[in-house]
Amino acid sequence: MTELRRWVVPLCWLALLLAATLGMGQLEGLFRWIEADSRQVIYERADFLTLLGRHLLVVSVAAVLAILVGVGAAIAATRGWGRDFLPLVSQLASIGQTFPPVAVLALAVPVLGFGTLPIIVALFLYGLLPIVRNTLAGLEGIDPGVMEAARGMGMSGGQILRQVELPLAAPVILAGIRTSVTINIATAAIGATVGASNLGDPIISGIVNGNTAYVVQGALLIGLLAISVDSLFSRLPLAGSR
Amino acid sequence: MRQDTAGPNVVLLTLSLVALAAWLGLDTVSVAANRIVPGTGYRVAEVIGISGALVTCVPWLALAGLAWRPTPRRLALGLALVVLMLSALPVWLSLSAVTLADSAQARLGIGAGIWVALFLLLLLMIELRTRLVLSRPIGWALLLPPVASAGLCLALWLEPLALWQEYRSRSGQFLGAVGEHLLLVGVAVGTSLVLGVVLALAMRRWPGVQKAGFGVLNFLQTIPSIALFGLLLAPLAWLSAHVDWLAALGVSGIGWAPALLALVGYSLLPMVRNTFVALEAVDPGVIDAARGMGMSRGQVFRQVRLPLALPVILEGIRITTVQAIGLTAVAALIGAGGLGTFIFQGLGQAAMDLVLLGALPILVLALLVDALLGALTDILRPGGAE
Amino acid sequence: MIDLIHVTKRFGVATAVDDISLSVAQGELCVLVGTSGCGKSTTLRMINRLIEHSEGEIHIDGQQIRRFRQETLRRRMGYAIQSTGLFPHWTVARNIGLVPRLLKWPAARIQARVEELMALLGLSMEEFAHKYPHQLSGGQAQRVGVARALAADPDILLMDEPFGALDPITRESLQDELRELQARLHKTIVFVTHDMDEALRLADHLVVMHQGRIVQQGWPLELLREPADGFVESLFGGEDRGLKEAALLPVSQRMQPLGHDLPARERIGQQASLREALSVMLWRHAERLTVVDDDGQPVGELSLRRLVGARRDD
Repeated sequence: MTELRRWVVPLCWLALLLAATLGMGQLEGLFRWIEADSRQVIYERADFLTLLGRHLLVVSVAAVLAILVGVGAAIAATRGWGRDFLPLVSQLASIGQTFPPVAVLALAVPVLGFGTLPIIVALFLYGLLPIVRNTLAGLEGIDPGVMEAARGMGMSGGQILRQVELPLAAPVILAGIRTSVTINIATAAIGATVGASNLGDPIISGIVNGNTAYVVQGALLIGLLAISVDSLFSRLPLAGSR
Repeated sequence: MRQDTAGPNVVLLTLSLVALAAWLGLDTVSVAANRIVPGTGYRVAEVIGISGALVTCVPWLALAGLAWRPTPRRLALGLALVVLMLSALPVWLSLSAVTLADSAQARLGIGAGIWVALFLLLLLMIELRTRLVLSRPIGWALLLPPVASAGLCLALWLEPLALWQEYRSRSGQFLGAVGEHLLLVGVAVGTSLVLGVVLALAMRRWPGVQKAGFGVLNFLQTIPSIALFGLLLAPLAWLSAHVDWLAALGVSGIGWAPALLALVGYSLLPMVRNTFVALEAVDPGVIDAARGMGMSRGQVFRQVRLPLALPVILEGIRITTVQAIGLTAVAALIGAGGLGTFIFQGLGQAAMDLVLLGALPILVLALLVDALLGALTDILRPGGAE
Repeated sequence: MIDLIHVTKRFGVATAVDDISLSVAQGELCVLVGTSGCGKSTTLRMINRLIEHSEGEIHIDGQQIRRFRQETLRRRMGYAIQSTGLFPHWTVARNIGLVPRLLKWPAARIQARVEELMALLGLSMEEFAHKYPHQLSGGQAQRVGVARALAADPDILLMDEPFGALDPITRESLQDELRELQARLHKTIVFVTHDMDEALRLADHLVVMHQGRIVQQGWPLELLREPADGFVESLFGGEDRGLKEAALLPVSQRMQPLGHDLPARERIGQQASLREALSVMLWRHAERLTVVDDDGQPVGELSLRRLVGARRDD
């Protein structure tokens, strides 16, 4: 029962997001009031469900890659054979945090060109940083006594990693993933300016054409998406416990 | 207890060999006949021939060799070599410019090989600086030779460099954009600092404010910047249409007003959180002792709590400022000006060098502000740097 | 049975343990004592190969420890440390069942073993089995730590200052329990501590270490009575040695048969130490005590003269 109740808030946000995506057309009256001068007040170049789907696809592909590589790199840098890389990796993760996401996105274009691929690469690279940093912090933050006991009891390296290190570091790692995904939902929207079609499209096109209604439609959906995802993360069993 | 002298420095070895592969395998420069047509890429060997290319391998191999038995002396030598190589990159560009750019309209682009080499050399510098435990000022001083070399090369030989041409054709506009960018960031951070401190103090006094305040600010932070800029558009446009004095001030749906509002909104959370945590986290034993000695509440706050909290508050200002520099770039989308303008103009015209002209300074600004405020925090921390 | 034969450990140029030889018999409680940095913990951790020794040989039941896989070796030995090292994300029951699970015991057997151990260490199943480590007091957590070390019924138990962080009362009761456990289970225990009182209370075999070397080893009273040098003497606390020795000797060793005089009013149990007897005499201003057995029946008497006199020839 409480298990179910925990998911009520994120599900409400998700429902709201879906309703807004599917029912944007019904709000025509409202948007006509916002943007009285324009002939067309509902963005129609692509339907909102497709835009939402593309947005989610780009963000989730980048997130999955970033989680695999980021967590993997942090684990490698904390094993005996990868320790040499630890100072560099942790410095890089903290310096990288100062790079503004827009700048990273903009720098990806000259190298990779326009379209969906550079967005995914840029989001992946930028999303790596909080994940690496948090995974390192989580793994390094484990009580040395616990590690000592685990080794002293005769657990193998793999057993310690799976049964002790990862479960104990999970809340911190998850917080990193949450930061990474939240930032990337926002950055992906800016990706609309480099030719990826997603929820940023209505905003950009609204700004370019001076149509406030478009802007509001895009902004509303991105806002709802970000809040839904964030709310889902905050309800994950590990994120809030203890 | 692994010792630095025990085996080869794997990091140095790996990075220098990867860099060598990228240097030889990727285009170092590209040349286009004019601004419109796409450029042709040139690898090292295509610029100065096979034998010349082999010569350029020497420093990379030397670096890898130094990694084999890394005594502090050899690492220091490696660091010197890295600085030298960083300084040589602009020289390489100049060489390519002189060799390849035959017409006055020809434009020289920086290729992936150079970017990768630059990135890896900077990583090597960080790695070697960490291993040699050099202080922060020395680390920064090491960047001076490469910067000087770049300046010199730009002045003398690099006229065909596309990035440089983009700059020269709008140098006034560029400086104006930097000014606008800094002004927006400064005003937003300043406003949020004042508001943030007031809010943090209110939160300490009234727990209700704390819960509600953090709730609202956390919520605000999850909304993507572009969405927030967009959402502010409508109400501000409505306000400027209906309230005359706001319109007279220049407030409208696009421009600096929504940008500033959104920037302040975003900046508040890190500011309030750090200020609040800083004030709360002061060792209760110290406060207890201060009260026990007969200091008044005001004295405790001004002479004990605030000075001890200051480094953490500064940390908040640093995070906020770095974040605001990035967000201001996005604000260019709603006509707020700043360096982001070049990025979005460049993207619109598919002029990559214009994009770089916007993105690179933003990156440099963020790193500079981060370093400066980080140094300031270290200075203000009682007992000096950690 | 543990044998260390000319064992040395070097970290870079520093020598942490310098050519020590030590033999711990089956069923013996061997205490390594010394100031911090003397190499006692390093010695302990070399036995389960958390630290590899640089020179010499270490044998378990006659076999070189290097012949085993590290994990196999460690699963054969219990290990308890000061910070307990309980896994914070596991319940007490799961923590205790760790090594049996590593050894792939069937679930029912693990369950039975956990129940047995919790009973043995006085932790009630209903109250503690499902608690998490952060819900335990220091003493309870340390009991769980000991139970976990004993879980797979190892012959050897390695303990690194397990009671060091506890308050004096809890520490004493856990020391008593450890002695009782040892009497019942006959484990071979190597115990590291810097607390000489603890060492004297627990040890069958006391090893004093200083700067990586063994300065003196043997039966505790032997060391107390004939310290090898000034360092060992200072560890025993100089003037306090008399009381330390008295704490090691039971009343039954000095008592006389009941005489013809009226029995003294003040009583002392025959298992009590001479130190306690002396304290009772001082507090009650009594020169004679009646010694009673566990049922409170008088079995002898102890006079102040007997207590202090004729020491060496007992």
